Amino acid sequence: MDIRKVKKLIEILEESGLAEIEIREGEESVRISRHVRPGAATPAAVTGMETPAAAAVVPAAAPAEAAPSGHPVTAPMVGTFYRSPAPGSPAFVEVGKRVEVGETLCVIEAMKIMNQIQTDKAGVVKSILVENGQPVEFGQPLIIIE
Amino acid sequence: MPYNRQLLALLADGGFHSGAALAHTLGVSRSAVWKAVHALSAHGVEVYAVPGRGYRLPAPLELLHGDTILAQLSPRARRMLDGLEVHDELDSTSQHLLRNAAAWPGVHACLAERQTAGRGRRGRAWLSPLGHNIYLSVLWRFEQSPASLGGLSLAAGVAVAQVLRALGVQGLGLKWPNDVVWQGRKLAGILLDLNGEASGPCSVVTGVGLNVMMPQTQGALIDQPWTDLNTILGAPVLRNRCAGRLLERLIVTFDEYARNGLAPFLEPWRAFDTLTGKTVRLQWPQGSATGRVQGVREDGALRLSVNGVMRYYNYGEVSVREAS
Repeated sequence: MDIRKVKKLIEILEESGLAEIEIREGEESVRISRHVRPGAATPAAVTGMETPAAAAVVPAAAPAEAAPSGHPVTAPMVGTFYRSPAPGSPAFVEVGKRVEVGETLCVIEAMKIMNQIQTDKAGVVKSILVENGQPVEFGQPLIIIE
Repeated sequence: MPYNRQLLALLADGGFHSGAALAHTLGVSRSAVWKAVHALSAHGVEVYAVPGRGYRLPAPLELLHGDTILAQLSPRARRMLDGLEVHDELDSTSQHLLRNAAAWPGVHACLAERQTAGRGRRGRAWLSPLGHNIYLSVLWRFEQSPASLGGLSLAAGVAVAQVLRALGVQGLGLKWPNDVVWQGRKLAGILLDLNGEASGPCSVVTGVGLNVMMPQTQGALIDQPWTDLNTILGAPVLRNRCAGRLLERLIVTFDEYARNGLAPFLEPWRAFDTLTGKTVRLQWPQGSATGRVQGVREDGALRLSVNGVMRYYNYGEVSVREAS
């Protein structure tokens, strides 16, 4: 399924106030739900890093998550997502960190081009939606800034 | 630890220089000369010390010189380049350009005799001993979006391979996306750093590390098969000439890419391609794929036939499977 469609579904979900959307298209289906965990104080407590399985999206080939409210920073190119400048070095950002405009959030590597992704919005890192080292699609939300 | 560039310049002719003469010219004591010679050795420059005759290098060494390099450029390339810096030492030529990119609106290039933190992809080191190789980075501005700049990686590979072929290297190849290899050994590496808006413009720093004459003591530290230009050609390569030609070709390449994208470089790239028809394993941190390489797509992505299904990848590292 086209990642842009998944993004659109996320937007619809956010605007509507619905808890869950499921769409079928031929043999593919995708279900997007808000992070509602019993007893969880805030949805922001759930991140892609901690609970990849909680990304209630089927099939797994469409790696998107129900984006919580906030400003999504998306992938400008297909590539591999990295949270740190090099293996073993500290991550650029962690959930809860305050970031200023222009600050590097992550790196996407494609064909030996290292693309430093900077935030175009100041705020607090609300969630990190992709696991370190995972391939990402064009336009895929990576990090939510609030 | 810094090195004494003046001492290196004196020894560069490859002839004997007595400790007393060096001390006199440099205005230091003979023991200071001795220490400075040791500092050179520590940076990868072998210096012979022969009692009664003095110090000499195993072979003459050509230090980099900005004006000599600029003199290699065509008027067209010269016009497009706003600045060229030649440093005795930098952490990394690419890092230097990235740090200063905001202050330089145009096209800049820099070289260093030595890198203290030369880097490959994902934190790997690029061994950068003093005075023997070429470490060149070029900062370029593109109006395009990051998504359409992926092919730049392949175009840069073509540029370097073409220069080396023109210098007389036969049997050169490219390993996707842009490793320059000779008989399965790495001769040059290229890494690009990109910053920019999702819809453009972008600034791209392209770093090229070329082994011209890797000292054996340093080469022993490299964790993959490697070679250098002097070994292949059997004669010393003039570094300034080589650096000038690389710079010229990269400038022309980036200018062309800015206007026409990867398309003009696909045929030359395919002519250098060493992987097509081979079974390879493509690996990335969270997975891998094994298949037969069927060339590259128009955007530079690797075409891999996996169990009869054609798949396209623009990430991952290729390793060739033996006896495929």
